[in-house]
Amino acid sequence: MPNSLLRSLRTIFRIKRTEREMEREMRFHLEMETEENVRRGISPEEARLAALRSFGGVERFKEECRDVKRNRPLETLWQDARFGARVLGRNPGFTLLAVLTLGLGIGANTAIFSVVYGVLLRPLPYQQGGQLVVLKQQAPLARNDNLNFSVKEIEEYRAQNQTLADVAEHHSMAFTLFGGPEPERIQAAVVSANFFELMGVTPLLGRTFAPSDEAHGADAVLILSYKYWQRSHKGDPSVVGRVFRMNDRPHTVIGVLPPLPQYPNENDVYMPTSACPTRSSEQFIANRQARMMSVFARLKAGVSESQARADLSMIAGRMKESYPDDYPANAGFGLTLASLHKELTQGAQPTFLVLLCAAGLVLLLACANTANLTLARLMRRERELAVRAALGATRGRLIRQLLTESMLLSLIGSALGVLLAAWSLRLLVNFAARFTPRAAEISLDNTVLLFTLVVSVATGLVFGLAPALSARPSLVPSLKEGGGQPAVSAGRQRLRGALVVAQVAVSFALLVGAGLMLRSLFKLREVNPGFDPERVLVMRVTGNWSKHTTGQQYRDLSLRLIERAQAVPGALSTAMASTYPLNPFGLANGPNNVNFQIEGRAPNPNEPTPQVDFRIASADYFRTIRLPLLKGRLFTEADDAQARQVAVINQTLARHRWGNEDPVGQRISFNQGQSWITIVGVVGDVRQYGLNREPADELYRPMRQTSGAGYLLVRTTVTPSVMMAQLRQAVYAVDPENAIDQTQTLENARNESIASPRLTTMLLGLFAALAVFITAAGIAGVMALAVSQRTHEIGIRMALGASASGVLRMILRQGLTLVLIGLALGVAGAFALTRLMSTLLFAVEPTDPLTWLAVAVTLAAVAAAACFIPARRATRIDPLAALRSE
Amino acid sequence: MAKTKSDLLQGTLDMLILKTLALEPMHGWGVSQRIQQISSGVLNINQGSLYPALYRLEDQGWIKSEWGASDNNRQAKYYKLTRAGRKQLDEETANWQRLSAAIEQVLQAG
Repeated sequence: MPNSLLRSLRTIFRIKRTEREMEREMRFHLEMETEENVRRGISPEEARLAALRSFGGVERFKEECRDVKRNRPLETLWQDARFGARVLGRNPGFTLLAVLTLGLGIGANTAIFSVVYGVLLRPLPYQQGGQLVVLKQQAPLARNDNLNFSVKEIEEYRAQNQTLADVAEHHSMAFTLFGGPEPERIQAAVVSANFFELMGVTPLLGRTFAPSDEAHGADAVLILSYKYWQRSHKGDPSVVGRVFRMNDRPHTVIGVLPPLPQYPNENDVYMPTSACPTRSSEQFIANRQARMMSVFARLKAGVSESQARADLSMIAGRMKESYPDDYPANAGFGLTLASLHKELTQGAQPTFLVLLCAAGLVLLLACANTANLTLARLMRRERELAVRAALGATRGRLIRQLLTESMLLSLIGSALGVLLAAWSLRLLVNFAARFTPRAAEISLDNTVLLFTLVVSVATGLVFGLAPALSARPSLVPSLKEGGGQPAVSAGRQRLRGALVVAQVAVSFALLVGAGLMLRSLFKLREVNPGFDPERVLVMRVTGNWSKHTTGQQYRDLSLRLIERAQAVPGALSTAMASTYPLNPFGLANGPNNVNFQIEGRAPNPNEPTPQVDFRIASADYFRTIRLPLLKGRLFTEADDAQARQVAVINQTLARHRWGNEDPVGQRISFNQGQSWITIVGVVGDVRQYGLNREPADELYRPMRQTSGAGYLLVRTTVTPSVMMAQLRQAVYAVDPENAIDQTQTLENARNESIASPRLTTMLLGLFAALAVFITAAGIAGVMALAVSQRTHEIGIRMALGASASGVLRMILRQGLTLVLIGLALGVAGAFALTRLMSTLLFAVEPTDPLTWLAVAVTLAAVAAAACFIPARRATRIDPLAALRSE
Repeated sequence: MAKTKSDLLQGTLDMLILKTLALEPMHGWGVSQRIQQISSGVLNINQGSLYPALYRLEDQGWIKSEWGASDNNRQAKYYKLTRAGRKQLDEETANWQRLSAAIEQVLQAG
């Protein structure tokens, strides 16, 4: 094989020499034949002609000999490619348009595929990641499909299961790191010592946890996540062994993790369970209802998810029987599991599948368009092809030549596409990070490039094959002198029409998709969030919890923060709260639901226990975010720990639980009636967990009756950013050990909350705009050719008295017929695409008539404009010139 | 074309070329002349198919070519049988003989 390859290569570079030798050999033959003829007594001139006659066409033999010489694919390819490159070089306009549309199409596909592959398809970066599952304890009747686990529960699942190789736990808590310029809040994952072994993770540096690290009283140790290591230590390998002072203890760094997707949340560092004071307290361990941890497990080899689910459900059933108090019958407790892969990717799936479809459609359009351009060009090349056929090129040879040209175009296009994809990769990774923790795994790796190669070859075949197969040059008319307008086969014209129809149809589907997203985005922006986000500054303040150990100390910290912040010039009103509207954490995790009971209403065991989204707010919270009071009163400073326990509820809860009754004055309890809380007011609803989510049942408790809150909110009279530095000073003045993070404005939080639909809309819109542009160019091209081919006919018509407007109508009718057929087909295609999109839409039906109509009208208008230009040219045809040209 | 001349069977041209070159190295025109002479003018080689055949045989490695001086001192391309070509000729000759013997038998039985 290498030998023949070498021979092929040698032959390629010897083509010139071979040509010369062939020439000499033929000449020698003819001379010998001529001399032989002369010897037979024929006149020299006659002899030469006779020799030529007996030899046949010299050029045809040369071509045959060349074919023998070049019947190795590589050489043919080289020859065809060089010729193709020359042909393309001679038509820069065509080449540029084709390469550009193909490049955009292939680039869009490469980029989106890199995301789909990196996020959805690539195996998890854990050893045998397919065996990893996440356990989920659910209480469907209590509308809670992801309860966490208590220590007791984890112990039982671990001890009793038959199907799991190992079980590990995970929860997340905040620490404060000292020693830097400012205290830094560190998000720490607290995991069992076997966590990394179970996940099959080898550390990048150092080691992972050993069982001894988890022992009570062991030295505190840390493992850094890759991202945190890069961010705060710039990838310095000497970080292993360094000591971090966090809260009241020194923690030694023992290792650094490789880049991994983190689930269920992003963490800076990992610690063993002994590091968390809550998790290690005896009271917590003994409490079966203290559910705080997530549970990961690895299936035993050969065990399926459903087998494990059945096995674990049995354990859950036994627990329910043994501890009926901990598993109320009306909650419907149960256990299920999901593969880690699914958990990591399901958020991204709908969006990226829709985008992949859209990108695929754009590429189809680019194919159709290039096929159309190629067809148009073929008509002009009819004579060249006829000449080549006359010189002995077979049909197969011509098709091969045309296909090579298509391949060349699509390969150049794909090179451009890969550049475009590389350029947009960063943006896409950031975009994907909004949907999945796996975004960091997206790259233009070999698999993606292979995909691009396959796509571009397929593209070249798709847009090259139809025109190439239609290339059946009929020698006589094409070569006839003066046949300046080669006859166009009806079949080919039909093919071009069909391509335009397909383009219109695909564009319609894409435009409807983009239109629906846009409508949905507008609806989202119109949603009344229930509060006024303008000029409200938010920051998270984390106190050092080893210094503030009691609830009262925390409350005092919060109160002092309010006091100091209020004193900063420009602060209109100041509040502390346990969260704020459209907080990214809330968007990701949903309501903080707590069971409660209403005084005077006996709990109904057949109905789920009432639940409410529980929040803590200081007295001025409502005024700060401008949440209107509807009934009763708001909190005052008198609502403190000594006073009567009170609460404010939202309108939805009032309507849901009290209907037409007045909830003010009613009492509820969160502890089975041990203590009662009086409702003193009703406030408006807030879109707390996303503008697209209906308000939940919400309840606010005054901060002075609780143990403080973590978010500082300030409504400012000036631009919020101006106050930032002074506010930070105020926070450090209260306690220099306070850590500040998540500083932003409510306005920004609101914008961020719809960033993913906005970006999805932009991408789909981009694809749709591309589609419409390509289609308009396609229609204009086809119509222009149709007009130039009918010049003669139109000339006759006009000479016979047809008016300019009549000609205009005739051409427009021809074009718009195609467009209307395309629109009709597009309706069918759009039904399919938009059904896929229904999960991405908000307050808009996939069949929204307004969008469909608007899109149809827009597309028809663009198409009409594209027809109009060539049609206008038709009306300017000078009948005399048209007739004389024949 | 005269009636007494026969068109060559597909594939036999290669064999005839190999056979001719087995006698001595020769140029293309020489090959065509020689075949006509030896077959007493019965086999008429279409010169148009001679050269592609020569190129094909060379491509397969059965013959090789080099430039040399002809009888009248002109540069001509001479073709020469290779070792592989000789083996190929033996095989094809054996095949041909089997085939023609078989045809002979059929014709005589008729």
